[in-house]
Amino acid sequence: MKFSNRYIFLYISVLVIIVAGTLAIVSLVLRPRQEANRKGETAARILKAAGYGALSTEQAVALFDSVASPITDSQTERYAIVCSDGDTGQVVYVSGKGLWGPIWGYVVLASDNNTIKGVAFSHKSETPGLGAKITEESFADSFSGKKIYNADGEYVSVVLAAKGNSEANAENSVDAISGATITSKGVEKMLYEGLKDAGK
Amino acid sequence: MKKFLEPLSKNNPIIVQTLGVCSALAVTAQLKPAVVMAAAVTVVCAFSNLIISLIRNTIPPRIRIVVQLVVVSFFVILVDQFLQAYLYETSKMLSVFVGLIITNCIIMGRLEAFALSHKPLPSFLDGLFNGLGYGLVLVAVGVVREVLGQGTLWGYPVLSDKFYTLGYMNNGLMVLPPMALILVGSLIWIKNARQS
Repeated sequence: MKFSNRYIFLYISVLVIIVAGTLAIVSLVLRPRQEANRKGETAARILKAAGYGALSTEQAVALFDSVASPITDSQTERYAIVCSDGDTGQVVYVSGKGLWGPIWGYVVLASDNNTIKGVAFSHKSETPGLGAKITEESFADSFSGKKIYNADGEYVSVVLAAKGNSEANAENSVDAISGATITSKGVEKMLYEGLKDAGK
Repeated sequence: MKKFLEPLSKNNPIIVQTLGVCSALAVTAQLKPAVVMAAAVTVVCAFSNLIISLIRNTIPPRIRIVVQLVVVSFFVILVDQFLQAYLYETSKMLSVFVGLIITNCIIMGRLEAFALSHKPLPSFLDGLFNGLGYGLVLVAVGVVREVLGQGTLWGYPVLSDKFYTLGYMNNGLMVLPPMALILVGSLIWIKNARQS
């Protein structure tokens, strides 16, 4: 069968319009649910860092609205948050660069603006099993109780040291992820830049 | 019917035709993403085969690849949107690999080789079983990698603590893509050895 050019143009145009139209409708219908998922996940992770334990996304969104309020006079995204122990700390949004793409996270600081209560890191495309470990609980847990100022009151942020070297300066360092040097350095730099103004 | 079942073993897309290997290496570190990925590919393969077969007589041959891509992309985006809405955690683990189903050779291969020249129902079944054949390998590799790499299955611990106290350690290499390649290679080896 021979098809004219006219037929070909019409055929592909109609096909693309049908496909695009259907996808637009599907996207509109599903968007509220997808956004709720994303919001709920972020809220759940921040709350976990603030000591509230594991929550479902619905619980997390409700609780987050009641314990956290945005700090509006800040240049970056920040919230004042009442932690599970009653202490009023702040949540600081930090972002930086990993090996393959952006990394970001939320750091919960206690009311002394020095002690880290917890962290929740995310990444776009770090290597699974290596850099992607920054999202894991065991890594996040290692930050709890660390301080961003050293004993002399100088700002040092938290250093990611090679395994075994972190004890020398236990207050201000955690174990880096072995095999993921660049992601670890990225996390270190992100924290240094992101928490610089938060401690004041 | 026998012919339709061929992709499950005798003519398996991954271990006999070595198609779709890239995603098979990438998403099989754990069982759950492997199963979801297998389901996604099966749905996309079956339904794009069905649609292409339904409109096969109206497609101008000169632009048939374009038409196929539009149809495959449609289903892939649909699947991706649904995963993001209903299986958010898993969709994050699969990240770009859902979108990359568009370029999966199994799907384009079945459209070209089968759907363009067969009736809708056989085409649908052909897509379905090719997707399942792909899924079978993913699940097999996913089970081995998750149990040996992390000591869990579907996220639940399966190895008792006694092993660990005796000095057993999770195999870190299992988590990395090269080990998936070695496992798929071993499957191909076993398959070839048995068939010759």
